[in-house]
Amino acid sequence: MALDSIARAAITATLAPDEVVDDPVRTRAYECDGLTGYRVRPEIVLIPRDAAGVARAVAACHRNGVPFVARGAGTGLSGGALPVADGVVISLARLRSIREVDVENRRAVVDPGVTNLEITAAVARHRLYYAPDPSSQQVCTIGGNVAENSGGAHCLKYGFTTNHVYSCEVVLPDGTLVTLGGDTGEQQGPDLRGVFLGSEGTLGITVSVTVKLLRTPETVRTLLADFPSIAVAGEVVSDIVAAGIVPAAVEMMDTLAIEAAEEAVHAGYTVGTPAALVVELDGPIEQCDSEFARVEAICDAHGCTRLHIAGSPEERARIWKGRKAAFAAVGRISPDYFVQDGVVPRTRLAEVLQRIADMGSEAGLRVANVFHAGDGNLHPLVLYSAAKGETERAEQLSGAIAELCVELGGSLSGEHGIGTDKACSMPKQFGEEDLAVMGRVREAFDPTGICNPGKVLPTPRLCGERPGRYRAHPLEEAGVIERL
Amino acid sequence: MRTIVKPTSLAEAREALLDSAGPVAVVGAGTAASWAGHLGPVETELSTTGLRGVVTHNPGDMTVAVRAGTPLRELQEELAPHGQHVAFDAARVAEGATVGGLVATADAGPSALVHGSLRDLVIGTTTLLSDGAVVRSGGHVIKNVAGFDVSKLLHGSYGTLGVLCEVVLRLHPVPGAVGTVAVACDLPEAARLAREVLSSQLEPTAVEWLSSGRLLVRIDSTAEALPARLERLTALIGGRIVDDRDLRPDSDDSDGSSVTGGDHWSEHAALTRGTAGEAVLRIGAKPSLLPGLLGRLPVGTVTAGLGTGVATVSLPVGEVAAAHTTVHAAGGTSVLRTRPVTGPDVPAWGPPPSALAVLRAVKQQFDPHSRLGPGRFDPWEIS
Repeated sequence: MALDSIARAAITATLAPDEVVDDPVRTRAYECDGLTGYRVRPEIVLIPRDAAGVARAVAACHRNGVPFVARGAGTGLSGGALPVADGVVISLARLRSIREVDVENRRAVVDPGVTNLEITAAVARHRLYYAPDPSSQQVCTIGGNVAENSGGAHCLKYGFTTNHVYSCEVVLPDGTLVTLGGDTGEQQGPDLRGVFLGSEGTLGITVSVTVKLLRTPETVRTLLADFPSIAVAGEVVSDIVAAGIVPAAVEMMDTLAIEAAEEAVHAGYTVGTPAALVVELDGPIEQCDSEFARVEAICDAHGCTRLHIAGSPEERARIWKGRKAAFAAVGRISPDYFVQDGVVPRTRLAEVLQRIADMGSEAGLRVANVFHAGDGNLHPLVLYSAAKGETERAEQLSGAIAELCVELGGSLSGEHGIGTDKACSMPKQFGEEDLAVMGRVREAFDPTGICNPGKVLPTPRLCGERPGRYRAHPLEEAGVIERL
Repeated sequence: MRTIVKPTSLAEAREALLDSAGPVAVVGAGTAASWAGHLGPVETELSTTGLRGVVTHNPGDMTVAVRAGTPLRELQEELAPHGQHVAFDAARVAEGATVGGLVATADAGPSALVHGSLRDLVIGTTTLLSDGAVVRSGGHVIKNVAGFDVSKLLHGSYGTLGVLCEVVLRLHPVPGAVGTVAVACDLPEAARLAREVLSSQLEPTAVEWLSSGRLLVRIDSTAEALPARLERLTALIGGRIVDDRDLRPDSDDSDGSSVTGGDHWSEHAALTRGTAGEAVLRIGAKPSLLPGLLGRLPVGTVTAGLGTGVATVSLPVGEVAAAHTTVHAAGGTSVLRTRPVTGPDVPAWGPPPSALAVLRAVKQQFDPHSRLGPGRFDPWEIS
């Protein structure tokens, strides 16, 4: 059933002609996000030039019972911005101003379409930065980060988007504009800002975000260490934690991921080593030095086969480039791959990796592992060849790995979100009653169910469908973003 | 007649709610009973103090699942031998406040500057709703974006949305050493010094001014690095080192006292309780606005977080309504904590937030018969 002409006219009339895209060729550009296996062409794409326009458009959708989906840069990896057929996409691409930088109060007020990295770029001269650093930070927008509660490599120490947002101005699904949160951590009643953050665009559209800025650390120390096995590297991480150190980041790669990354960017990793750790510490010099010495000693004690300390910011950047290139680089050693985002309690890393390896052998497929070892967030890459007819097997293995994470006491997703992709796996992690109460949260914000319907919570319609295979996002193919 | 029930399990709590009708007060240790809106008449008092003890502590993962009626102080004692703690230092912890109560009241202490409040440390909750539904959200891993974060709604809900039964917390290592520098100064001077500290890269854990005329700056550190860090701090802002403790288990200084121990921080905690006969108001405002704002209020005792923008002040009961107005005019927030007397002259909250309709809708969804915590958000009429 197509969008009826009265509703269409009512919605498009709220904006200027150049804020409306409705020809089928141009709307096709909005048919998917970073999860390119799912595609739905929207009826209309609205690109309002200000927050008032967003509110008018949403109010018109509400009056006409038309579903809408907000969209930032479209880099999401779980199909959270997948359009609804016969619905509207509201792009925040024109809301791109940094409204205010308040150095003294260490915060900035930004439009949702500002990219994550632009915030840091705008405040760097004040020796401030915005901490959450998802790998797509060059292109992903803060509005999308708010929707997904994005993390990044440094969230072990610094937390996620939810820990760095004071308040959001939000257009609710009925078109009213409200502020969630305030100028400090003090709350006026239940933390609505907190439940909104990470709700994947299902509770409203952010039109302004006040983010917390941090003082840049005085010093940063980074090392790259090779180990004889993943298990030993895991023990090193455990010992670092047991020593009372909270590193800024701890990343691990296995031999397959290292091979791919080296082939792609030549970052100086050791090809053939079974496991490599990247450990980064930051803070006041004395603090950082005393902890870094301890980390080096722990690496040595575990038979580290090579320990390389970044001697300059350029060298550090090279280590990170290798780490961040791993995803896209896997494309060099395999024609196709699926990516997972499950989390396990950190102490079960060795166990989960062994089981993933076993499951891979059983399925006759290779699995490369790149992950945030500090917080147990895995990114297994299931390698396969569609041309050889391995798609179905790979899909099954990929799903089984996500569910294994839940079985080991973890989560389906650490940072990519549930979206369309994993909504049908939600019953593996949550009971029927849990999901029903989450449904009540949605009902409170969006009683008519028009705001990004079909995402996060499983629905019979959605879960009757089969998930699509992973295909590289155009931005990823162009080397603009990495998958992390 | 008020019936008091003290369930010892989630199942018993659920039964108690389903077996009763009428309004219910959810009560922890009672350390914040007088905070926020005055509790209206209830038929049932559901005490969470029977829901006590650690469910699972995974030292290697630095997470702990605890029953919500457990006093945080007790939990910290249990965690201490592992060199871990919940990085949270609200004054009420020492009075026996429960984990659930601290979440429900959105309380926080000086180290919120770095660690945030419990909303930032809770990674999962199990909550019982008044109609018997049980919702688990989050989980046992610190990184997790699966599903709506229902825990956040319970933070600051003052017992109006559900009964927190179990809470999973992220833990931090107890620092190897902790030090405090004190500077005798008035508030404007303290604000100037705080700006210096906060624009430096010294990474203080807490920056608080006390109305006894002192600025306290706390540094959590490794034992090796603490002397140099304190020296740099005093070079920057003057003052003297009033606390310098090695907390490592084998050190002489380590007498089991907590990170936040020490006379100076005890005085801070005492000041947050206000002055006898006066009301206590909790205020939040942009840090740069806070000193001026406090200057315009008829405050008695004050603790002012100059990095967080959060202050706890005492003031005459008759001044509460006007104080709400003043704070809100500065874009801030305010909530009544201690009320020596009750009545319409002592409003608990200032003007309602713009999302009042959403608050009401959430209340309607979670507590459809408006049984929990009547009056706690008056005068907003949430239900």
